[in-house]
Amino acid sequence: MKTYAWLVRREFWENRAIWIMPLVIGCALILAAAFGRVELGMATSAGDSPDLGGMLLFAFGVIFIVVMNIYATWYLLDCLYSERKDRSVLFWKSLPVSDTATVLAKLFTGVIAIPLVYFLTADLTTFSIAVILSIRGQTAAGELWRPDRWLQLQALWLYLIVTTAIWYAPVAGWLMVVSAWARRAVLLWSVLPLAAACVLERWFFGTHVLTKALGLRLLGYAGAAFNQPTTVDAWSRMSDTGVPRTNSLWPMLDPLRFLENAQTWVGVAVGAALLVGAIQLRLRRCES
Amino acid sequence: MSLLIEAHELTKKYGSHTALDRVSFSVGSGRVVGLIGPNGAGKTSALRAILGLTSYTGRLAVLGREPFANRATLMREASFIADVAVLPPWLRVDQAIDFVAAVHPRFRRDRALALLAKTQIGGRRRVRELSKGMKAQVHLALTMAIDARLLVLDEPTLGLDILARRSFYDALINDYMDDTRTILVTTHQVEEIENLLTDVIFIDRGRVALDTSVAAIAANYAVLAVGDDRLAAARAEQPFFERRLLGKTLLYFEQPKPDRLAVLGEVQTPSVADLFVAKLSRVAA
Repeated sequence: MKTYAWLVRREFWENRAIWIMPLVIGCALILAAAFGRVELGMATSAGDSPDLGGMLLFAFGVIFIVVMNIYATWYLLDCLYSERKDRSVLFWKSLPVSDTATVLAKLFTGVIAIPLVYFLTADLTTFSIAVILSIRGQTAAGELWRPDRWLQLQALWLYLIVTTAIWYAPVAGWLMVVSAWARRAVLLWSVLPLAAACVLERWFFGTHVLTKALGLRLLGYAGAAFNQPTTVDAWSRMSDTGVPRTNSLWPMLDPLRFLENAQTWVGVAVGAALLVGAIQLRLRRCES
Repeated sequence: MSLLIEAHELTKKYGSHTALDRVSFSVGSGRVVGLIGPNGAGKTSALRAILGLTSYTGRLAVLGREPFANRATLMREASFIADVAVLPPWLRVDQAIDFVAAVHPRFRRDRALALLAKTQIGGRRRVRELSKGMKAQVHLALTMAIDARLLVLDEPTLGLDILARRSFYDALINDYMDDTRTILVTTHQVEEIENLLTDVIFIDRGRVALDTSVAAIAANYAVLAVGDDRLAAARAEQPFFERRLLGKTLLYFEQPKPDRLAVLGEVQTPSVADLFVAKLSRVAA
């Protein structure tokens, strides 16, 4: 356990962007809340809307989640490649740390640690903004302080972190396999073989099995993890009216249905297989 | 003397290329062994196999373990520096010490700090800010602070200038070497480590060309310097290699007969570097 903790810590040393990036976003949002005129205009014009606070919270969350997903994807794609590129793998391998532990620590960093950092920063940011808006006397401020909304937000984040980690396990596994395997151009290698396989399947068999499977995996998350209306629907509806109709997130979260979905477990199995592949590659490859 | 490394018919192929072809050798405890060979001879393949970094065929036991499946456990008792400047550029010196101290049961922090204090490299420096020579010093300090039964050095000074190379080996000799240390080292600069070695293994085109203790070289090899007048007589003694140097001919003999050579000219024991050239040139001829 101690070794794992240090391995994750090591990832934070190497990838300082893990905490710098959310910090910069948080600071920018706080500055905007403190001095921004946009915020002021919105708050006054929509002052009578009871759910403006909720909308603000969601807007902040979306910013963090989008950046987090882009960054985590990049991290997983780079984590086993950069150590071969700068040859430091020859240093890490001189230490009594197994390849399995190294790969697992990197996976944990990518799918759990990085999202948690963004979650905490997002929380701190919204809290700071609530304080600032209260001081500035914005009408929305009162809405920001509603405890039930905070609770919903925490639950949503944690639910999101756990379910994305599970649903996107094969994606994470694939990115790590490419990262452990490619000699260069990891980004290209992460996309091209899959795209080529889809095209070839269509040419030679006239079927779309792979395309459909990939589409389901990449686009099917919201449908699998959230009740109708899906999050995407809920968010778009929110931008019309300002809130999910129910004014509550609880009915949207459906862990049971998510866990009962066969696709969830197909993904876990594929992800595990790919992870084993990444470990085997880490075992054998020293050169980029 | 217990054997720390035992290789039997060690073979490594990359596609159709055979890097190591049924190589057998052993390294005993307390020995300082130079693995010496031209570029592409298979030195690095042999070391990578020993360190558990690559798969292979044949039998190999390092500290009693099969290395490839047990690299992590092996690294508790063996340490290595493979190539120069492999410390990650983003790492700070103090982070490197913290990390190794946390994951390595035989790492002694106080020793690492004492060794680093001699180099005047501050703990807050990042590896990318250091010169190549300083990177080598930091890596050596980290490695020497590990109480390992086996140390493997693969071209640890390649590309360093002569001052950096000298301080690297000085540190190794003064702060690490004693009778209990077992070291396996490869380098192109044979002359620089010649005095350290107790044994040499010459490796050429994936095969062992010579495996001997340095002490045995004096008994088994001689180099004779003769003028042109005695050349024919000297050649009659069947040298395995000869070369011209400063108007004289140097003839290399295996299992020499000192009495018969002494009357022909000056007889000496060849240096490891000279023997290497003589041995491998013969193979190439």
